[in-house]
Amino acid sequence: MITTSRIVFRPVQPDDYLRLYEIESDPSTAMTWRYRGDLPPLQEYEPALWRQTQQIMVVEGRESGTVVGYLQLHDVDLRAGHGWFSLYSGPEHRGSGLVMEGLMAFCEWAFGNWPIRWLYAHSFEHNVHAFESGLRRGEAVRLGVLRERMVVGGALTDVHVIGIEREHWLASPLRRRFNTLRARFT
Amino acid sequence: MADVDPRWWRFSRDGLEPSHLLETASGVAAGVIVFDEGQQPVACAMLADAGASGTATLEFFSLPDPAAQALARRYAPDLLVAAFDGAAIRRLYVERFSGDPDLLGDLADLFEIEVRYPDFTQIDGHYEDRTIAVLTAERFQEWREGLRR
Repeated sequence: MITTSRIVFRPVQPDDYLRLYEIESDPSTAMTWRYRGDLPPLQEYEPALWRQTQQIMVVEGRESGTVVGYLQLHDVDLRAGHGWFSLYSGPEHRGSGLVMEGLMAFCEWAFGNWPIRWLYAHSFEHNVHAFESGLRRGEAVRLGVLRERMVVGGALTDVHVIGIEREHWLASPLRRRFNTLRARFT
Repeated sequence: MADVDPRWWRFSRDGLEPSHLLETASGVAAGVIVFDEGQQPVACAMLADAGASGTATLEFFSLPDPAAQALARRYAPDLLVAAFDGAAIRRLYVERFSGDPDLLGDLADLFEIEVRYPDFTQIDGHYEDRTIAVLTAERFQEWREGLRR
């Protein structure tokens, strides 16, 4: 568990599944996430949620005490030393920065607990702005863009491939600031 | 236990664990095998991940010997024609490691690299990049029309 002034970052519990399902069911983004509008019924959700997944960590807002989003570590390949992550934010918390703070906690947790060199993520064009500050600062790199890769809501959209390298994360000023602030709450 | 050539990433990454193998196989829409003059299989091509978005990935492997690779290169144009004619594909992807043998010959120049994963995994004791390159239906059509002129 990682605690900051604004969030608690912790492993998912079965009690959280309903909230995760609500987040994934949001109509404004249901088409963009991995089920692409074809979210399984709640009774089939748990196995679908954990498919190819090593761990799910939720981000809880300290003020609200509710789960504001979650991060999923999936498709880890220990031979290659990399894994993928997905990031989900509740619609009412987008733009608050809470889940992106959760991403910092996730990097700290993932690189601290898994022998992986790279974390990768796919991001649709209309979501990639969430990564832009990290890309500008250099904690994340854009490994490329798959042009017109997917159809979302009837329109073709680009898919950006984002990478976070272990050594860059460990040496980043952002990580130092994050851990300094975090130390005040642990 | 049998091993899979690590360059055949789609099939080697999870080893031969049956459930993974079945899942991987379920993503393959079509496949062809290239035989040599002695009717021995020397290369195979598969169209994978073909979906509603009009994209697919060409997996193209050969045995690791120059004769098999040359035969694969010779048939590469036919394989691409079959892929684009046989399915509604807008964009055809090829993924490869930086040290993979060239199986596409001159056709490789038609593909444009869109993603590069640096030091993606170790093969034969050293890290290699992995790239995703794309060939659009339009670009391939232009190439075919150029052949007819």
